[in-house]
Amino acid sequence: MNRRNFIKNVGCAAMGSTTLLSTLTNLTSLNGALGADLLKSAPPTDYKAMICILLSGGVDSYNMLVPTGTNTGGDNGYNEYKTVRTDLALPSVGSAGGLLGLTNPQCTSFRGINCNYGSYGVHPSMTGVQSLFNSGKLAFMGNIGTLVEPIANYTQYQSGLKKLPVGMFSHSDQQQQWQTSVPQSRDAAGFAGRIADMMNAVNSHQEVSMNISLAGKNIFQRGQDISEYAISNNVNPNNVGFDSLPTWWGNSGLLTKTRNDALDSLVSKTYANLLQKTYSTTTKGAIASFGVFKDALQKVPTIATQFPANNNLADDLSAIAKIISVRNFLGAKRQIFFIDAGGWDMHSGLISGLNTNLGEVSAALKSFYDATVELGIADKVTTFTISDFARTITSNGGGADHAWGGNTMVMGGKVNGGKVFGAYPKMDVLSASNLQNTSFRGTFIPSISTDEFYGELALWYGISPYDLCYALPNLGNFYSYAANSYPVGFMNFGDTTISNDNLPQNCLTY
Amino acid sequence: MKLKLTFFFIFLFKISFQICGQQTVTFGLGNTKNITVTSSSNSTDGVKTLQSSGYLPNLNSASRFLSQATLGAKLTDIQSVANLGKEKWLDAQLALSNSFGMEAYVKKLHKTRVDSMLRNNPSGGYTLDNVNAENWFFDVSWFQGSLTAPDVVRWRTALALSEILVVSRNSDLDGEPYGMASYYDILLRNSFGNYRTLLDSITYHPAMGSYLTFLNNHAANPSKQIYPDENYAREIMQLFSIGLFKLNLDGSEIKDANNKSIPTYTNTDIANLAKVFTGLGWGDRRYLGQYQKDKFSYTKRMKFFPLDSLDWSYWNGNPIYKGHDPGPKTFLGSSLPNRTSLPTAQWELDISDALTIIFNHPNVAPFISRRMIQRLVSSNPSPAYIQRIATIFNDNGLSVRGDLKAVVRAILLDPEACDCNADQNSNYAGMLREPFVRYMNLMRGLKLTTQGGVYRNTMYDIYNRIEQIPLYSPTVFNFFKPDYIPDGDLKTANKYAPEFQLLNSQTLTEYTNALNRWLIDDSPSEFWNLFDNETYKPDQNPKFDLAVDSTLAKNENIPQLLDKYNLILAHGAIPKVNLETIRRAIVSMPYTYDYYGRPNQDDIYRRIRIAIFLIMSSPDYLINR
Repeated sequence: MNRRNFIKNVGCAAMGSTTLLSTLTNLTSLNGALGADLLKSAPPTDYKAMICILLSGGVDSYNMLVPTGTNTGGDNGYNEYKTVRTDLALPSVGSAGGLLGLTNPQCTSFRGINCNYGSYGVHPSMTGVQSLFNSGKLAFMGNIGTLVEPIANYTQYQSGLKKLPVGMFSHSDQQQQWQTSVPQSRDAAGFAGRIADMMNAVNSHQEVSMNISLAGKNIFQRGQDISEYAISNNVNPNNVGFDSLPTWWGNSGLLTKTRNDALDSLVSKTYANLLQKTYSTTTKGAIASFGVFKDALQKVPTIATQFPANNNLADDLSAIAKIISVRNFLGAKRQIFFIDAGGWDMHSGLISGLNTNLGEVSAALKSFYDATVELGIADKVTTFTISDFARTITSNGGGADHAWGGNTMVMGGKVNGGKVFGAYPKMDVLSASNLQNTSFRGTFIPSISTDEFYGELALWYGISPYDLCYALPNLGNFYSYAANSYPVGFMNFGDTTISNDNLPQNCLTY
Repeated sequence: MKLKLTFFFIFLFKISFQICGQQTVTFGLGNTKNITVTSSSNSTDGVKTLQSSGYLPNLNSASRFLSQATLGAKLTDIQSVANLGKEKWLDAQLALSNSFGMEAYVKKLHKTRVDSMLRNNPSGGYTLDNVNAENWFFDVSWFQGSLTAPDVVRWRTALALSEILVVSRNSDLDGEPYGMASYYDILLRNSFGNYRTLLDSITYHPAMGSYLTFLNNHAANPSKQIYPDENYAREIMQLFSIGLFKLNLDGSEIKDANNKSIPTYTNTDIANLAKVFTGLGWGDRRYLGQYQKDKFSYTKRMKFFPLDSLDWSYWNGNPIYKGHDPGPKTFLGSSLPNRTSLPTAQWELDISDALTIIFNHPNVAPFISRRMIQRLVSSNPSPAYIQRIATIFNDNGLSVRGDLKAVVRAILLDPEACDCNADQNSNYAGMLREPFVRYMNLMRGLKLTTQGGVYRNTMYDIYNRIEQIPLYSPTVFNFFKPDYIPDGDLKTANKYAPEFQLLNSQTLTEYTNALNRWLIDDSPSEFWNLFDNETYKPDQNPKFDLAVDSTLAKNENIPQLLDKYNLILAHGAIPKVNLETIRRAIVSMPYTYDYYGRPNQDDIYRRIRIAIFLIMSSPDYLINR
């Protein structure tokens, strides 16, 4: 210890004296406001919402969307699937407890890679999803995943010349990258966070963020300037804010105010220590939101649609339906919700685990869609699933391990439903000729990037093409904007006006 | 600079030390007067004292030390550290043997349930085998141990380890209190042991085997395209030992020529290491792949089954190729020999060889040291601090690698841990106290009404409110991640604050409301019946006993009241200006007298409780630094 440190110690509790040299610097925030050249996204007049459901743990999405063809010499997808998935394979369409067939899923090709199969089914527990798909309200992304730039095949993957996501196959990294869409970085902001950076101002009550989380802190909703507003799925107005002191205290109202004022005062002080400052800021933000949120929740109408019981995802989606129903009282023109529905890391017990979990997801999605119809906003709400990664095609005996590209769902009145987008990979992962596969365990190079998926959603949400690369820095590697040419094509832009002279700016390229 | 030089001169000329015993020296002239240095050093040259290792701490310093070394401390504990000095007190702690058996206590609760059921119905045939044991037996046992075990530093360390070597009831462990208790016993037993032993113990514990799904994991069966489960192979490296990227001794990442982080392993390493963790099954079963026998299966070290039994395969209808894969394996740049032609019992050497390879990886010391510092002391330890601890991890001075006792001692006595004025070189010193640690601070810091020293706290409502109790993490990534950076200033400064991952508008509301329940409603603990129609035992369901503070509720004594709890809960960190805010709130509350001139007890209660509530809500308490 040098003398300077010694003197410092003299001055604090380590020695018990008054503080010496106590001048503390107060760092001003370096958080850049957005450059004036951004924000070409016009303020909207209508309402739109996105709901992101994170199936955390890595859903076995090759048992969620499964090829069903059985034509030897033609589309023989089901038999190829069954051969490699062995004890994890689901029964075929038509057999007891078998896959539920999808009507004419039109999987063709994506960015030059052919879709390998023509007919598909969903997991036997997913009746709700089957009906949403067949009625054109839900689409699948086939083999989507984290990519920095396109990787066409195994040769490119092995070449060392293509940038790969960091921490591949790791839960924490892949889950984060699905939320940031910047897989080369471990400290990027989230997709919804960056959207909110640009658009939060369109909502009139700034106390309640555009980004509402039912899963606490998350990376998806974290921007440079805007973070999430976290709530529980018990959206009872009486559940908002700090509990009052007991009513039998007589003067409880006054004393509650005294206590709350003191608490407010403690978190309103200037703290030089950044941890203290962050704690205080978070508390101040929460306190500021209580009134607006509570008042709005008191206006929630009766929603007749029944949500399934004992289903956490349904509870969350039901809460979201209620919040959306009071969007005008919250002053919200744009909202992004985030849900974490966990329990997918099925290294074992996969068959029974999926039976339970996918059934719950399906029932919850169906009732939520129905509720948006009831509320007259089905066209204004787009719901989608994301997950860490898919699981290995080959079994570990009852379960499967971490893989890469997988399948996701997107649902809503403006979704070009009833289709499988992307290029669903060939199941013969033990064949050397399978160029989308990287391992004997069956892990696929994604055919669609998260950027392309989110890019399409961003355009629908009202982000100008000019601003796209603020939301999705890597997007330029996959897509360049042109009028009526969208990143994937799963959204119906029919009545949306998008300027075509505002081309994406400041994209990262490699 | 001039100020500092002046100090140095004063310092040189004014301090003198006695050869033995203690003495008080007052030094400082000019700008700052009368700084009191109390020395317990026996050294002749005062070097020890200058390194601040010989001081007797004052009460605030003692309290601060205890906030890092324990789950909470009473005034008497604080005085004890102040009297003994940190080193002596800590060395006495580190010498205490593991005093509390979690599994034994779960069994005791379980037996109480069985015995009382038999009393009510002697012919019921109830036994430990056929009567249910519940999750909360684990929680009650944990709380009992945390409040009564004298080896309090061990209990702090074990909780830290439980957040690094994570297993959770959010899995098949749900409903297995014996399994959780047995696993926690391993953490307690090895808290001051060797990390290599700890790695062995967790690898062979069925709670880990079940949680990370390598229990009953078998060798590849290529004809069926079934391969070893990769879960444990990945997480033991990513989370329990080396992490994703190569590290320097000071915890910083080694970069390649392009300034990129260098991964420690590839997916091929994982596939190879996955073959190692094959062949481990339940310790009380005969075949690999057999299901758990009973709740006690979870307390027995896993057994190695090199070959699967044909009998079992026959009954199972699903023959397994081999229990363990004895072939050659290469990972982390090392290779295990092909043991195929060796006696099958020797195939198990793969596991110990693999653990040794992992344990000897240069990342382990900085990786584990940083995590331990983050759990006990600060979110952003300096590289030098990490390096000092990692150096001790690599060699405790007696050529022993992985000595956790030396590591814990070094972490707690490091100048950076003891330097509460770290703000002068960093404004991100300290850490946000974990929600559960805040609860324990309160329970261990305040006096509780109890007679027999027996507690029955299921902590059920506590988990629902603060989303944290031991062994209830949502995933193997713990309640929060070591590299979490919150929004705002900390992101700008690029500094970590793991515990903030649990902080949002919802949880801070829940914490505030939990304080309301614990303090205002006087309901800090939850008593559940062990069996039907059990008589309520209020002495096992403690409340806060703050009777001794009654006289401090008067207006003129409020500063004393606040000083007392500022010391106990916040080691005096709440500055005068904030204490004044609290004082003004408290004195504005009623303080009335009855007909006989006695102060109203309700008013006293309310003033004291709100005062502690506000201290516990203060950023100066919540950020421990």
